[in-house]
Formats: sequence, C-alpha cells, structure tokens
Amino acid sequence: MSHNFDQLTQYAKSFTGLTEEHEALLKEISPLLIPYLSEVTKSFYEQLSLIPETQPFLEGRVDSLRAMHTQWLEGLFTTDFDSTYTAGMYKVGDVHVKVHLPVEFMSGGMTLINGQLIPLVSNNFKDDPEKCTKILSAISAATGFSLLIMQQSYQEASLAEELEKFLKISGMSRTLFSNLADAYKD
Amino acid sequence: MRSDMLTSVLTELNGTSADIEASGVISTDGLMMASALSAEMDEDRVGAMSAAMLSLGDRTAQELARGTLEQVLIKGKLGYVLMTHAGDEAVLTVLAKSNSKLGLIFLDVKRASASITDLI
Repeated sequence: MSHNFDQLTQYAKSFTGLTEEHEALLKEISPLLIPYLSEVTKSFYEQLSLIPETQPFLEGRVDSLRAMHTQWLEGLFTTDFDSTYTAGMYKVGDVHVKVHLPVEFMSGGMTLINGQLIPLVSNNFKDDPEKCTKILSAISAATGFSLLIMQQSYQEASLAEELEKFLKISGMSRTLFSNLADAYKD
Repeated sequence: MRSDMLTSVLTELNGTSADIEASGVISTDGLMMASALSAEMDEDRVGAMSAAMLSLGDRTAQELARGTLEQVLIKGKLGYVLMTHAGDEAVLTVLAKSNSKLGLIFLDVKRASASITDLI
C-alpha cells in the first residue's frame, strides 16, 4: 500500500500545532538535553517494567529496545519533521501491530516520556519560564505528532491484518472482496 | 459472442419456469459475465454478492465436513436465491419466487450450469 507521507505530515501538524519555530527550538536546545536522554530512556523502561502487561514485550529485548528508543528520542530534538520522519514513525506503528503490541501502549508510552521530559526541561530552564513554556509546548507538539502518525499506521495495519484474516476464513480472494466493496461504494 | 451464448442459456433457463425471475453468470471474482436480470437490479451488486456467498458456502462446506459444495440456497419471505458453480471459474445465480417448485428449479439450474461450463 502506498502512502502520501507529505499529506500525512501536514495532517499531523494541523492537529498537533507543530511549527517550524518549534522544530528550531528543539534543535537549539538539543546540545543541552541530549546528554540526559539515555537516562530518560532508562527511567522509561524502568517504569514500563513495573506494568505487568508490558513485561512480555520487554523480556530479553530491553537493551536493543533501549538503544532504539534513545536514538528516536535524540531524533526528536534534531530531526526535520517532514515526510521522511513521518515514514519512519509510520513503520514503527506498523511493527507494533506485527508484534501485537496493545494500542494503548503507544499513548501510554508517550505519556511516560512526556512525564520524564517535563521535569528535565523545567529544571534546566527554571530561570527562563517563558522559554521553558515554549520548549514544553514544542516537546508536546513533537511527541503528539509522532504519536498521531504511529496511531494512524497502527489503525491501518490492524485493519489490514483483520481483512487478511477475514479473507482467509471466508475463502474470498482479494479481488472478489475489492469488487464487492466497489459494488457498495455509493 | 460468448457473452451472447451465455445470455442465451440464461434466457432459456428463465423461460423454463415462470418461477425463475432472474439469473446471471458471474466470474468467481464477482464480475458479471452475462445476465438476464430485471432493470431495477444492480448487476455489480448481484455479481459480487453471489460470488461472495458461494465462496463462503465453499468454505462452510469444507469447514463443516459436508464435502464439495453443490449449491447455496437462500430463502427469504419474497423468494429464493440459488447459487451454484458453473465450472471452476464461474457462478450461476438464480432468483426465484417464494412459491417455486424447487425440485424443478434445481434440475433446470443443473442443466444450465453444465451448458455454461461447456461454453466457458
């Protein structure tokens, strides 16, 4: 299935209010925050390990997950939020379906990450409340953007998986299903 | 040309009994190959729905160990829908009245299905 990632990028920006100013601000503060991000990731996985439902998805994989997560987190402060980033996050949502990760793990995870980043920023910019507010707004927009893309992809991948299952059970070919859907388009 | 011959089989089938109201030959992908339907019927929907039902019938017969599917019969208050394979690549669908003599219809449909199989 081909996707228009430019369109999806604009769609996600319109919801999350992520602006060029936000992106510039995140890049500006990245040298200050990046050194803390591996610690943020560590705390994130420690919190996840306390939730019984997440444990089956973490067992034996924490180190590799941590490395990927830190890389993504650093990217949040250095990337251009364009169609390439969107395509990458889309793939992440897709993978989450393939490993049967429950949908709430994505929003739950993003809430945990924001919960870690807020005190980090507050401590580092306590002398400049106005800037602190702008940074928190930028982080909220960037994480919201990432979450929206992942959820979009998750939803599409879930539907595709369900459809695949239905076709297998019903014995219908993809072409027949498509013709049936076309016949009831109006 | 082949479409005309298929239509001719369907016209003949519809003529064998006043109980048969409409019929169509549909590819297993749900596309209408030939039809003798009333004007208000949507060919695309009749075609796709028939092929889908037959496909589901195939799977049901297989899943519930009923052997090779012979036909799918749907009975509504206003009449019957009968679907059967016409060779490996087509479906024959017949719409009949509620007071139809099913035995005769089964026989006529079986003959028509054999003719269609030969044509396809």
